[in-house]
Amino acid sequence: MTNEVIIDQKFIDGQGFKRFIESGLTWLRTNQQLVNALNVFPVPDGDTGTNMLLTMQAAYNEIQNSAENNIGVVAQAVAQGALMGARGNSGVILSQIWRGFARALDNEQKMDAKLLALALDKAKSTAYKGVVRPVEGTILTVAKDVAAAALEISEKTDNIEEMLDFVLHAADRSVENTPELLPILKQAGVVDSGGKGYYFILEGFLKLIRGENLESSTTAIIQPITTMDHNNLEEIEEGQDYEVIVDFRPNGPLNLEKFYEDLSEMGTSIQVGEGDGMYRMHIHVPTDNRYLPIDYSMSIGTITKVFIENLMDQMNQKENQADKKLELTPIEPGQIAVVAISPGFGLSKIFASLGAATIVEGGQTMNPSTEEILRAFENLPTDKVVILPNNKNIFLAAQAAKEATVKQVEVLPTKTIPQGLSAMLRLDPFGDFDSVVEEMKEAINEVDTGEITVATRSVEINNVSVNQGEAIALLNSQLICSSKTIESATIELLSKIELDDRERLTFFYGNSISKNEVNQITDTVRKQFPDMELEIHEGGQPHYQFIISIE
Amino acid sequence: MKEIKQLMGNIYVSHRAISTIAYQSAVESYGVVGLAAKNIVEGITQVLDKDPMMGVDVKYNGQSIEIDLYIIVEYGTRIKMVAESVSNNVRYRVEKTIGIPVNNVNVHIRGLRVSDPD
Repeated sequence: MTNEVIIDQKFIDGQGFKRFIESGLTWLRTNQQLVNALNVFPVPDGDTGTNMLLTMQAAYNEIQNSAENNIGVVAQAVAQGALMGARGNSGVILSQIWRGFARALDNEQKMDAKLLALALDKAKSTAYKGVVRPVEGTILTVAKDVAAAALEISEKTDNIEEMLDFVLHAADRSVENTPELLPILKQAGVVDSGGKGYYFILEGFLKLIRGENLESSTTAIIQPITTMDHNNLEEIEEGQDYEVIVDFRPNGPLNLEKFYEDLSEMGTSIQVGEGDGMYRMHIHVPTDNRYLPIDYSMSIGTITKVFIENLMDQMNQKENQADKKLELTPIEPGQIAVVAISPGFGLSKIFASLGAATIVEGGQTMNPSTEEILRAFENLPTDKVVILPNNKNIFLAAQAAKEATVKQVEVLPTKTIPQGLSAMLRLDPFGDFDSVVEEMKEAINEVDTGEITVATRSVEINNVSVNQGEAIALLNSQLICSSKTIESATIELLSKIELDDRERLTFFYGNSISKNEVNQITDTVRKQFPDMELEIHEGGQPHYQFIISIE
Repeated sequence: MKEIKQLMGNIYVSHRAISTIAYQSAVESYGVVGLAAKNIVEGITQVLDKDPMMGVDVKYNGQSIEIDLYIIVEYGTRIKMVAESVSNNVRYRVEKTIGIPVNNVNVHIRGLRVSDPD
């Protein structure tokens, strides 16, 4: 993202609007996890941030390569892209907002502040038309307050920066007020996630005008820096062996130009973010230079935090992971093929070893699309397919895949991994389709599922009161208890189940728990429940420390 | 009539009550601009008494509930997403308030409303 190009404060044309959309998208991406964390259930479940981001991404894709100068045409394309790519409820509302926005700009060459206010107002009314009984305390309310603020300020200024600044303050107040309007938000102690997402998009617009950094979140400074994500890193260029991030407070005003210049002598990929007088700088440097940025920052200010990551090593690890290929069962024509959705590599391997023909990655927070599921089985040389969604959120997408194909497809209602595995054990690839499906369906109910995770916020559900950061246990997706540690939550869960007619517990541990902890906890379980047979496997799933199959 | 077994006597929930809950949560779902009559006869009778269950059909097989919704969707929204979210909303609200599992929510799109032609 280059911030050198200056955006006209009075008139915005098609290309200017394209940069606005890009900035809104980038800023939303930077704050995506923050929006996702506002779900009204302690387990990461819905994913408003991701849904809105994918919708914005689809909108931006429509205009990314366009050289159109007419803002009406560009806005129309944005609306079209958002409509086609709308994901989830918040995505649909967002697409309506863009649709209304675009309609106000119809046949306009450029947009001034007055027109921006009218467009925000039209966006609000179009969004409201999409529902019989609008629920207040949602993104709709925020759109309404934004429109009112824009119309109010448009009487006083024709400067777009001033307008956006005023509008953004109104949006902020509106978002903060959502819990007063919607009791479920208040109960969960959060603000509305869709409204917050809309706020970030508008804030991205303002940041563009002000030439501020969009890649690093200002709120990230108070969050642990280890959340930096390099999963989409393709390859390391020469001289980028280490990533160094330094948070510091400069002694006196910082000469940004000189700062950039000095840094560029040490390395590449330089980013600097600012918030509350604090600066965060990010740089990729060759091995020899890895301490230089730290010494340098120390010479101009006080360092509060340093983070160094060996990118080379990370790449190597990633390659190793890619080497671990799944051994899938080859399918002969006429056989029954199973498509299993799995949230972690370890679980994928287990499904593969039980005879799954294809594995689709996906789980609690990243639901695979219908297309991904469809692609998984369309090219198999058989027309008999069984899909195991293994999560209630994926069931609909799997159903849609069933309807989109001519193959004979059955989606089994497996809501958890153990249910999927239990069904898998009854697979007879050469059997009669209907009776095999019946068999597998029966197996689903023969297993109970325990899940251990950490609450992402404080909440009270099913008379169980949960504090943020506490371990919680779910039995068949119902919240059973909360506890201070993973271990005590596990023990409490198991002690609440009638284990007399059960004989085996299988633990699948996730990627957020260490092998030592796993051993320690399973040892305790072994002592407390000596009659049970215990099996432990690496599941590799995110979010859930344990998924427990109880047979 | 649905029956929920309790320790001290039973609770009966009528189809009408369930329909009303489903109807209310359907009209609060984004993208739904109205519910449509299932057939002509219903259309006539319900115009007469402004039924809060119009466009909702509830079946109960002794264990779980199946709901059919006949909705009108705002033109210009992604219909698949609207249908998914109305189905989720209705299922969640009915299961939560009544405590009987909802097996299926079938969404029938009976028409689109064009409030602003593009």
